[in-house]
Amino acid sequence: MNATGKRDWNALLLRHEMLLLYVLVAEWLFFYFAGTTTNRRGVIVGFGTLDRQFDILRHSCEIGLLALALTPVILTAGIDLSVGSLLGLCAILFGKFWHDGGLSIPVAAALALGCGAIGGGLNAALITTLRLPPLIVTLGTYSLFRGLAEAITHGAITYTDFPESFLFLGQERWLGLPTQAWLFLGVAAAVWVLVHRTTFGRSIRAIGFSPEGARYAGLPVNRRLALVYVLAGLIAALAAIIYTARLGQAKADAGTGYELFAITAVVLGGTSIFGGAGSVHGTLLGVAAIAVLKNGLACLPVVMRMNAAEEMSGLLTGALLLLALTVSVLPKILPTLRPKRHAG
Amino acid sequence: MSPAPLLQLRRLVKNYGGVRALRGVDFDLHAGEVHALLGENGAGKSTLIKVVTGAHAPNEGTITIAGEPVSGLTPTSARALGIACIYQQPALFPDLTVAENIGLRLETASATRRVDWKARRERAATLLARIGAAISPDAEVRALSMPEQQLVEIACALGAGARIVIMDEPTASLTQKEQHLLFAVVRELSKSGVGVIYISHRLEEIFDLADRVTVLRDGESVGTHPVGAMNEASLIRLMVGREVAQIYPPSESAAGEVVLALRAVGCAASGVRDVTLEVRAGEILGLAGLVGAGRTELARVLFGLTPADAGDIMLNGRSIALRSPQDAVAHGIAYVPEDRRRHGVVLEMPIAHNMTMAIHRRLFIGAWLRFGAERSLALEFIRDLAVKCAGPDAPGGSLSGGNQQKVSLARWLATKPKLLILDEPTQGVDVGAKSEIHKIVRRLAKEGLGVILISSDLPEVIGMSDRIGVMGGGTLRAILPAKSDPHAVMAAALGTTEKGAA
Repeated sequence: MNATGKRDWNALLLRHEMLLLYVLVAEWLFFYFAGTTTNRRGVIVGFGTLDRQFDILRHSCEIGLLALALTPVILTAGIDLSVGSLLGLCAILFGKFWHDGGLSIPVAAALALGCGAIGGGLNAALITTLRLPPLIVTLGTYSLFRGLAEAITHGAITYTDFPESFLFLGQERWLGLPTQAWLFLGVAAAVWVLVHRTTFGRSIRAIGFSPEGARYAGLPVNRRLALVYVLAGLIAALAAIIYTARLGQAKADAGTGYELFAITAVVLGGTSIFGGAGSVHGTLLGVAAIAVLKNGLACLPVVMRMNAAEEMSGLLTGALLLLALTVSVLPKILPTLRPKRHAG
Repeated sequence: MSPAPLLQLRRLVKNYGGVRALRGVDFDLHAGEVHALLGENGAGKSTLIKVVTGAHAPNEGTITIAGEPVSGLTPTSARALGIACIYQQPALFPDLTVAENIGLRLETASATRRVDWKARRERAATLLARIGAAISPDAEVRALSMPEQQLVEIACALGAGARIVIMDEPTASLTQKEQHLLFAVVRELSKSGVGVIYISHRLEEIFDLADRVTVLRDGESVGTHPVGAMNEASLIRLMVGREVAQIYPPSESAAGEVVLALRAVGCAASGVRDVTLEVRAGEILGLAGLVGAGRTELARVLFGLTPADAGDIMLNGRSIALRSPQDAVAHGIAYVPEDRRRHGVVLEMPIAHNMTMAIHRRLFIGAWLRFGAERSLALEFIRDLAVKCAGPDAPGGSLSGGNQQKVSLARWLATKPKLLILDEPTQGVDVGAKSEIHKIVRRLAKEGLGVILISSDLPEVIGMSDRIGVMGGGTLRAILPAKSDPHAVMAAALGTTEKGAA
């Protein structure tokens, strides 16, 4: 960042995040030209409208938050499959605190955030003290949290009739942007600083690259790991509140399957599933690339005629992820393939 | 009378990169003999085994088995030629039964064949009976003791028709009684015409068991003798042999206050017991001993990786608890570990990040990274320790072994420690970097640091240390003065009674 000599621009332009940015721009331009039409009354509709852009942003906030929660987790070479379920549980608890407990919205929200942190703390405790693999622990809590949410609501109760002032968070705009986008951007900035500018971020990378190496360097490996999972729980709870505000209802199935979208976004954003390498801005680009793809497809006349937006977006998101992974390992694989071919 | 020897090695050379592990070894093994192989750590015993078992190909030299020259030996062809190796840690499947393990080794038919359980069990029972082992073929290997597992390995070797059996420190983890059982089996094997190559650090076993002994030193065989013609002193002389030829920087420091004092320190989990010693400021205390003597284990106790469960650890006169590496770092104890690629540096991270990893709190106040300060600190150490690298941003993995070691050292010097523990600091390091590291260590001691230097390199530990602690069996066996006779150090490490054998 200071006088290190000239930057290697070629390397910078070829970095994963930059490649992803090109893809995102290309995607956006394609949908802008192919997905924007004028209707009979001469009004522009489809992808190219500002409303649609805000819609994309609004719909990305919850998965985006989960992706932000997962970035530090995956940087430690861990995984958290329970964030989507925890989102559902926290949404239910928030609704219950407010509706059945008679608490005010801010108090209920604070309690829900606390419950998210406790949920993350459960993951953390099992992973650090019992040394169980994160994949298995969070697979367990994935079912546990969802099951709790369903038990609390008997699978039937939906909390609705939230006050207007609360729905403002999820359905209105503030200072030009959807209200929740401000929260999302705030969390994004905070996580970015945490990962890229603090010793916390530095140590979780070291843990991700080499947990033993980090231990031998005197880093508090268990404390750092614990914090990462607690933070993930906290952010999942925040996503739950935003989700509730956007839909105006808290249901036990809130956020089902979101963890997989979030993991996809993180990995697409260049964070190595083996830990250590990755960035928060990469994750944000990954979230954007998926969101634009999903919404843009829904605007394409062809897709609309076939009524296949969901299917197409699933298919293309998967293809995009596999393509990104393939491209990112090519520089490593190619030199090892060539000599083999000569030998064979 | 001499038929062709079972195994004949001639001028065997094996290089690893630039390191000459074997430099022209000759070795003969006759049918029905127990031939002991002796040597210090790193003398080339393991390499020799790897070459004979086909794990590594030699660079030069010939291998002749029962009169037939063989080339391009692979593990599979070695087994087919009747070569079997029994390691200290048996490589059996713990969840399968004895019969299944033996079956897996010996049955060669295709994967889709039906298992003949009866034949499998009968074969296992016959083989076990042949070596006089009272082990049920249906026992799960997990439930067997270590020597019983070794017996199963021997049964496998027999079943495979092994003519050459290599045993690599088979008694290291055995009790006296188990040893005798194993010896009986080895004698039985040799009586039946099998040639046994027997590797051990315990000299008394060699006198007990072997017919001939070959001593390796620095990758060369320094002589094969009938065991009857040798005694402990002459064996030790052969093993140590060389002069302390290298020039070590002289000790210039006067030892100051006691930095670290241990009183009967032990850790059951890692086998360290009853260690009492003192390290003074400005002193280099060498720790010599054979592999498995408990030196690294003691270092791990002092660094809080495996906390002590007995005794007292005093730093600067105050009793301290070391429950974790963080405790150790907070108290000013630094540990440069033996395995630098796994523990010493994070290979994927830049040199600068590696160097500041143990001083996050001090350098980055308020947990806020200060890249400028980090960079200048890294540049300073790179210059100070003469680290050869592309710059502070180069990843640790891009460096050579010696330079990685310097980065690992810099990380701990940055903590401004009171006590520095160096674990095999020059292992696998080229000669130039080695003498540079020696100079750095000497300078640090002169500046008043207490240093514990763990080294299996006998000349190094003797040349560098102000006092030499010799460890064995998890405890401190002796403390010898500086410039002690290598034979005395080796004798203490081996635990023989003849101190100062030469």
